[in-house]
Amino acid sequence: MFLARIEGTVVATVKHPTLDGCRFLVAQRLEADGSAAAEPIAVVDWLGAARGATVMVSTDGDIAREKLGNNTPARMVVVGIVDSAQSPAGGIA
Amino acid sequence: MRLGIVRGHLTLTPAVESYRGRTLVVVEPVTMENLRAKNGKGGGKALIAIDELGAAEGQMVAFTEGREASNPFWPTPVPVDAYCSLIVDSIDVRQ
Repeated sequence: MFLARIEGTVVATVKHPTLDGCRFLVAQRLEADGSAAAEPIAVVDWLGAARGATVMVSTDGDIAREKLGNNTPARMVVVGIVDSAQSPAGGIA
Repeated sequence: MRLGIVRGHLTLTPAVESYRGRTLVVVEPVTMENLRAKNGKGGGKALIAIDELGAAEGQMVAFTEGREASNPFWPTPVPVDAYCSLIVDSIDVRQ
C-alpha cells in the first residue's frame, strides 16, 4: 500500500468490460516528506474519495479481482481515505 | 493503472505464439505537469502494451502493469507486461 493525493477524475466509456461502472480517479503517489510523484496514476475508487483527499492505495489486485471478477485488469484500488497522519516532522497529509 | 499517450502500433513477424494476432501499441506515459498543461506531451519512458480496445494514435489510455495485465487472458497464460484497460474520454485535474 502507499499514500496518494487525489487530483481529479477520468471519464472513459471504452474500457475493459469488467470495469463498467467503476469510478477512476487521477492521483499522485506521496513520498514520506509529502512530495508528490512526477507521474500520475489512475486508481479505481469505491469509497468516494474527494479531490484533494489523501488516500491509501493497494496494488495487490486481489481486492479488485474479488469485486470485479478474475479477468479484471484493475490493480490499484483506493482502500481507505486518510483522516489524519501523525508525522512529527510534518511530512505527509 | 498509469496514463499514457498512444504513439504508434506494432506488427511483429515472427512472434511468439501468444503475441500472434494481437494489437500492440507504443505508449508514452504522461507526467503530471504535461497532464495539467494538456499539451499532448508525454514525458515518460515509452513502453509496449497490448490493446484490445482499438486506441488510435494520440489518444490517451490507462494501462495496467504487472501480473494483473495478464488477467484479461485468464486462464490462458499470456506473457503480458502492460495491457490497455481504458481509453480516456476526458480528464479534469486540479491546477
